Amino acid sequence: MTKWDYDGPILEIENLSISFFTRLREIPAVMDFSCTVQPGEAMGLVGESGCGKSTVALAVMRDLGKNGRIVGGSIKFKGRDITRMSDEELRDIRGSEIAMIYQEPMASLNPAMKIGQQLMEVPMIHEGVSKEEAWKRALEVVRDVRLPDPERMLRSYPHQLSGGQQQRIVIAMALMSKPALLILDEPTTALDVTVEAAVVDLVKDLGHKYGTSMLFISHNLGLVLETCDRLCVMYSGEAVETGSIKDVFDKMQHPYTQALFRSIPLPGADKTTRPLIAIPGNFPLPHERPPGCNFGPRCTYFEAGRCDAADIPMFPVTGQERHETRCLRFKEIDWAAPPKAARQNEKGEVGRVVLKMEDLRKYYEVRGGALFGGGDTKVVKANETLSFEAREGETLAIVGESGCGKSTFAKVLMGLETATSGQIFLYDNEIQSTPIQSRNTETVSGVQMVFQNPFDTLNPSMTVGRQIIRALEIFGEGKNDAERQARMLELLDLVKLPRAFAERMPRQLSGGQKQRVGIARAFAGGAKIVVADEPVSALDVSVQAAVTDLLMEIQRKNKTTLLFISHDLSIVRYLSDRVMVMYLGHVVELGSTDQVFSPPYHPYTEALLSAVPIADTKVKKKHIVLEGDIPSAMNPPPGCPFQTRCRWKSRVPGGLCEKEVPPVRDLGNGHQVKCHLSDAEFATMEPVITIAAE
Amino acid sequence: MEPLTWTGSLSLLNPVLAALAALLVLAILARIALSFFATEPAVVVNPDGTATAPNGLWSLSVTAGKWLFLSLVGVLVLYIVGGVVTPLGSGGIFGAAAKKFLPVWIALVVLFAVSLRFKRRLGLYGKLFDSTIGMIGFGLVMFWVFTAIFADMIVMHDPLGQISQLKNKAPGVALPDGSGWYIFGGDHLGRDVFSRMIKGSQVVIQIAPLATLFAFMVGITLGLPAGYYGGKLDSGLSFLANLILAFPVILLFYLLVTPEIVTTGLPQFMAVALFIFPLVFLTILLNSRYYVQPQRRNLMVAAVLGIGGWLYLSLISTPGTAVSFFPAAIDLFDVPPNILIVFVSVVFVNSPTVFRIVRGLTLDIKTRDYVSAAQTRGERPWYIMLWEILPNARGPLIVDFCLRIGYTTILLGTLGFFGLGLSPESPDWGTTINAGRRLLTIAPHPAIVPAVALMSLVLGLNLLADGLREESLRD
Repeated sequence: MTKWDYDGPILEIENLSISFFTRLREIPAVMDFSCTVQPGEAMGLVGESGCGKSTVALAVMRDLGKNGRIVGGSIKFKGRDITRMSDEELRDIRGSEIAMIYQEPMASLNPAMKIGQQLMEVPMIHEGVSKEEAWKRALEVVRDVRLPDPERMLRSYPHQLSGGQQQRIVIAMALMSKPALLILDEPTTALDVTVEAAVVDLVKDLGHKYGTSMLFISHNLGLVLETCDRLCVMYSGEAVETGSIKDVFDKMQHPYTQALFRSIPLPGADKTTRPLIAIPGNFPLPHERPPGCNFGPRCTYFEAGRCDAADIPMFPVTGQERHETRCLRFKEIDWAAPPKAARQNEKGEVGRVVLKMEDLRKYYEVRGGALFGGGDTKVVKANETLSFEAREGETLAIVGESGCGKSTFAKVLMGLETATSGQIFLYDNEIQSTPIQSRNTETVSGVQMVFQNPFDTLNPSMTVGRQIIRALEIFGEGKNDAERQARMLELLDLVKLPRAFAERMPRQLSGGQKQRVGIARAFAGGAKIVVADEPVSALDVSVQAAVTDLLMEIQRKNKTTLLFISHDLSIVRYLSDRVMVMYLGHVVELGSTDQVFSPPYHPYTEALLSAVPIADTKVKKKHIVLEGDIPSAMNPPPGCPFQTRCRWKSRVPGGLCEKEVPPVRDLGNGHQVKCHLSDAEFATMEPVITIAAE
Repeated sequence: MEPLTWTGSLSLLNPVLAALAALLVLAILARIALSFFATEPAVVVNPDGTATAPNGLWSLSVTAGKWLFLSLVGVLVLYIVGGVVTPLGSGGIFGAAAKKFLPVWIALVVLFAVSLRFKRRLGLYGKLFDSTIGMIGFGLVMFWVFTAIFADMIVMHDPLGQISQLKNKAPGVALPDGSGWYIFGGDHLGRDVFSRMIKGSQVVIQIAPLATLFAFMVGITLGLPAGYYGGKLDSGLSFLANLILAFPVILLFYLLVTPEIVTTGLPQFMAVALFIFPLVFLTILLNSRYYVQPQRRNLMVAAVLGIGGWLYLSLISTPGTAVSFFPAAIDLFDVPPNILIVFVSVVFVNSPTVFRIVRGLTLDIKTRDYVSAAQTRGERPWYIMLWEILPNARGPLIVDFCLRIGYTTILLGTLGFFGLGLSPESPDWGTTINAGRRLLTIAPHPAIVPAVALMSLVLGLNLLADGLREESLRD
């Protein structure tokens, strides 16, 4: 089928409603959703998980599965209604006119086919071109997505590529047939921050080059700000606000959008003076939505009898182009008013040193391939010369991307692995070579961990109460069952969960609630040091703030030392006292939060700061894109670990970066940097993030 | 007395049954043919939120098929009800069989009524009643379980009693003294085929699930540490499992029952080794959880070791064999040596497969965060394996358990068929099929009846496993 020309909007969705039909009931997933995407425009769909944003994307592809049905409205693609197309017409459009990019790159590629074959398939099926022609086009597109050595890429299998390269191939495949509309469903969630920045950059450039319209689905407001022209905020199956990026970010007209912005850590937020404001309550389940405004029960501007009276339509905001909101009271609310609940927290006292690491090293021996041992042994240096101190009541953030050795460090600290060399002092005891079996109960209960994935952190076949009680039993808390039961209920109070949850199974809890149980369990033995391994990165934005708050509150109360592992610099700046940046097993920078977040930086910190998307139109960032991927820890580069991607490398004379691992230098006040750059070069560094004056 | 016909006075139902069956076949053929042409019916959503599919020719054939199938089942139920209410004999062979199975019918109806009533509260078992396949499978399995339980009420004659005039007589033949019938005929020694089939179910229902359970205990106790620790232990145990799996099963059985081998006591030493596993399993299970409360732990472990140990010693020790050390005064029971051999062989060949399944599941589950959480709070390895990993591997294990009972049943049949283990007199299905096989051309029924019984039980187990798998994946 030939592509037809059409002058109007690429995509017009009008009053779309989608439902899923299950054994028990009909579940409305999307209700009365409308949006328009003009040619060459990038539209962002933002919302928390379960708000229906992916369902909209799947509906545009007409790929809702067996249970899903479009129950009302229309989706017009270039003027033709997709909801009425036959299977044959749909097959023609999919992949040639509308292409989709999914979250998990490895799952979108066929592992049994070479990259080249997979790419060539697209034009061969849709346009019937010859093999040679298809190969030529594939080569061209792979060059366009800036992959090195395209010929070799086409001849390799997906597993031979890194995650970032795979996602570039997926993008290349989507662009093969020059589609009019590209749907991106969380395309960078599975990638590291610096790789994400490069991929986002690429998508933006290619969008301009090919003139493709984009529907960009994300939960990350910062990412949407960087990629899109317009956005649509969704909540519980409805679009609540839609408009241009500038209007929605700066002149928001819906309470949910406002609450969302107030719950994410933007520059300027601070845990003591300007804490985040979490959205109260929980996301309503699709079959338990309230009457009237879905956001009503969680809204601070809620007016009973009006907001819950009838379904609320979208109102256009006068004076702004194509800006609409689903709020009855948007004209009455003073949007510029500062948030009321800005309570001030006392700054926690930082006490004596509780944890000290000196020159810690952890090496793994990895045997190559062979079945019965044999083969070459390789040494993976997971941690190199780690030295730092953590004090009572302090939050130390450990920042780094995958493979930087932060999980290994946590394992050594917890005693799941023993150190290769170096010392760990907990209070005054050396624990680096004591595995967890030989540690005494006090040491074990004193160092606990909060895990990343809320859906994995609780045993699915044990009640919540039973799991906390088990921790109490192990830590020797309480004399008998009754005492432990009482203590367990107190712990539930501590993490602000209703006591009735003790009888629930983990599957009956939401992600945030599970994470709270995980925190309760970690504090069961009165932990002194808590290692939090990305505790909020898998949670929805509105829940993140609440869980972060809870951690801070418990820390203030118990004077706990918090080791906060994260790759999200926004949240690190918000809650940490000191920051340690790691790259390939080395600590490249260590200092107080202010020192790390302002120049002079280590070149890697600089790139990391530039890569993190910030959802604030007033923030101007310096644009630094790192080339290539993180080297494998199996095969690290010689000399400085960061030299393969460093943009400052040419400033160091004599190729020193490639020869020697730089020494740790003290830049004053305990600010340590591992870099060869001279003081003069450090002095020329400019801040990456500047906040424009209002 | 007259020999019985197949349906007796219920024969007026026969034409109805034939007509319905023919129509059902037609409807299914039509459905297959129409599916080539018909477009998928567009679903229309009503304003009240319900969805309806407009009737097309294709959907008509689907509906017709459904109703025909239901009425077919209804007619079959009529046969059974007819057989039950009419006096013994007047309902023909099927009527008589239906009447004798009365306790089974009652038990089945009660079980299904209760389960369907409370299915939303019964977890996975309740969900089973959402799937037709699962319900059919469960029904078949429970039919045989109840048959085994009520066997003494169902049998019509002594399963070993021989009446020489009735050798190889066709189903429905009357006894010479006029006191009744051999409703499924007589076998080559003039025994009642029906009663032997009923008694045979007892052998299968007793041995198969128990042997499978033992195989699971062995497989789990070895598979968990292999998967959890990995390394040399894993390589060693996996190699051993592969070794056993690579050995031809039938050859192994022949070896085990060879008199020379039996006198050396090898099967019994294997029993000593294999039957200790449940005891070890239970002890570790309780100790790992309750070691933090020593008093409670001591009580529980003592109870398990006391009772379990006594049972274990009674089980393995049999007077007059290589292993007979336990004084007869406190020896609770003796297992006949041939049954013990069957049991040991079945456990021995089944446990490596279970081992591999458990090992694979453990490898997957040990990477979860809740396992790390347990490690970081200082739990011992066996607690993590038995209380954190095993409960979360239960889904696939339950399904495999059902399938494996089926395999074991077939294995028992095979063993009986080759005359291994059980005595030639035994009414178990394998032995009966073997005995009937020699005269298959003259009188097929002594072999067909136990064969159908065996098939229906295994089919039921497979359907049950399918249903469980399907329902555990849905929500």
